[in-house]
Amino acid sequence: MMDGGTWWSGTLLVAGRSLVEGVSSRSWRVVTALMLLLGLAVVVVPRLVGEQDVTYRLATVGETDAGLAAPLQAAAGAGGFEVDFAVVADADAAEQAVREGDVDVAVAGTGADTTLYVRSDNFSTFPALVSQAVLAQTTTASLADAGLSPAQITAIQATPPPEQVSVGRVADEGRAAVGFVVGIILYLALILTGTSIAAAVALEKSTRISEVLLAVLRPTQLLVGTVLGVGALGLTQIAAIAVPAGIGVATGTDLDLPSSATGDIVLGVAWFVLGLLLYAFVFAALATLVEKVTEVNTATLPVNVVLIGSYVLAVTVTVRDPNSWASVASSLFPLSAPLVMPVRWASGLVPVWQLALAMGLVAATAVGLALLASRIYARGLTLSGRRVRLRELLTD
Amino acid sequence: MLQALGLSHSFGDRQALAGVDMTVRPGILTGLLGPNGAGKTTLMRAMLGVIQPDAGTVSQDGHPVTFQQRQRWGYMPQERGLYPAMPAGEQLVYMARLHGLSRQDAHSRARALLDELGLGDRWADRTDKLSGGMQQRLQLGAALVHDPDVIVLDEPFAGLDPVAVDDLSRTLNDRLQSGRTVVLSSHQLDLVQDLCEQIVMIDHGRTVLEGSVATLRAQSGRRQLRLGLAPDAPRDWLDRFGDVRTVEDLADGVRLDLPPQVDPLAVLDAARTAGPVTDFGLDLPTLSQLFLAAVDDGEVERTSAGAR
Repeated sequence: MMDGGTWWSGTLLVAGRSLVEGVSSRSWRVVTALMLLLGLAVVVVPRLVGEQDVTYRLATVGETDAGLAAPLQAAAGAGGFEVDFAVVADADAAEQAVREGDVDVAVAGTGADTTLYVRSDNFSTFPALVSQAVLAQTTTASLADAGLSPAQITAIQATPPPEQVSVGRVADEGRAAVGFVVGIILYLALILTGTSIAAAVALEKSTRISEVLLAVLRPTQLLVGTVLGVGALGLTQIAAIAVPAGIGVATGTDLDLPSSATGDIVLGVAWFVLGLLLYAFVFAALATLVEKVTEVNTATLPVNVVLIGSYVLAVTVTVRDPNSWASVASSLFPLSAPLVMPVRWASGLVPVWQLALAMGLVAATAVGLALLASRIYARGLTLSGRRVRLRELLTD
Repeated sequence: MLQALGLSHSFGDRQALAGVDMTVRPGILTGLLGPNGAGKTTLMRAMLGVIQPDAGTVSQDGHPVTFQQRQRWGYMPQERGLYPAMPAGEQLVYMARLHGLSRQDAHSRARALLDELGLGDRWADRTDKLSGGMQQRLQLGAALVHDPDVIVLDEPFAGLDPVAVDDLSRTLNDRLQSGRTVVLSSHQLDLVQDLCEQIVMIDHGRTVLEGSVATLRAQSGRRQLRLGLAPDAPRDWLDRFGDVRTVEDLADGVRLDLPPQVDPLAVLDAARTAGPVTDFGLDLPTLSQLFLAAVDDGEVERTSAGAR
């Protein structure tokens, strides 16, 4: 029997070879570069776009009153935009300036006779802000006329507006969008890595390299080594996109995302590792059924169907209704959890115990599947000369 | 000494090995012979531990072979067995390291072996960019790079030209000289009869003939005496040898089948007494003839055993 040290040294040699071959292949380099670019784009592009400051132009008849300008300036400071003030001669000129698009809003008249000119295609919040400022100015004047002191007026106006709670299917739309993107990338990365593992196994079997290797290695060494090597290639690609995106979200982008979205990205990477452990051994085992490399897609169809089905469920049902029974069930069911739970988790409405349960179930299922897969793998590799049927390997 | 005893193995309901025996001694090139589908590859895979036989044992020097011992074996499968995209040198380094050599040793051994095989300038070339003949040599290199004690080659001569056959047997002979154990399989019985010293013939997963090539051929009892005689010389002297059968009778000579108890020299003397002998020769049976005879006997045995 061999001791653990020998087992690992052989396994790591296999993993190292897969890794070196993968890194030196052009397809891996291209995909990884794309992932890195995508990860950087998430951070950089909104910043570039965000640097274009929004400036609203307000026209008043005669010099702009300080009582009107002050609250607008304050709102501008808080809302991240600027306000330019222009002066027009009369109400007609004010209307004309708005019509021509020279200014966004124009104010004419005073007190109750004030008119606000707004272009019909202006859907921004700026007209409402101006309207509010005009109203506040008029109210202040009325309160002063009624004999209230400036301190009393300030106290009245300081009354806070009622708290607004937005009620939706997700806690935060931006964070849910992150979950959606994490779902897409997880799906692509798992399919890509699984297919690479299957292709590597099919190549070894069809070229009879497996014969030479099995004369010096245990089947488990070959299986685990291949999964480790190709899995590390996949993890590198995931890291290429997740690290810049995660850091970007954590340090604040102009995407208006809560920093908890970084947690969702980190969790996405954890789900990739769990998902890989779950599916990779199955991909490898199914690939041993082939006689020619070209048959590998047919052989791995069962696991591909599971992946595609889970993904479609995640991006159609779970994104829209994360707490429907289908979403809850498929996010806990171990075969679909790696793709559904990360998307559902980003809704912000999932209890932590459900996340822990899903992860535990996936890990346990992964161990069971890996044991079964290594049996299929060991027998499938040595049956050559024809396509092997799965049933032959599972019986007796 | 390498020994397989009573190996049996089935793939589903097809029995590939049915209690086959084989002995391979160090320093003696041993051929595992038999027609296609006889079970040669399965026997080799069972000996190498690639498959676990249903029954039987594989032992080295009297003890069951261990995984550690097999680390010191080298195996060349029948086809390919190389990573297409891997550079030739790396291929050998990888195989050497799998067999437990350090990185440094693996490199120096790979370097030396590529030179020995005439591939010294191909270290960095991708394997699938090498010619067919070069790939075959590289494949041999992958089996030899860790200087194995036991070398197992499956159909190494298939598809080789005469020069390559010569190169291969010289490479193997170097290993045999230093006491390595070498066994190779072939379905081309008459090609290996001049290369192998010892043979094991199998058919339908059973051993049908085993022994040294020279002894098997000499003792087969199927020797043929070829005699060149004067035109229209009489044949009546042949009547004294009742057991001798005339295989071929031409105007200028005869070919005779001699049973084991007949001394060929006595037949030659009788012919010379009767008239001039222009040419003579004793032909031993070829391995294919021995195989066919052994299979025939086996059929008879099996049939009679079934009737009983």
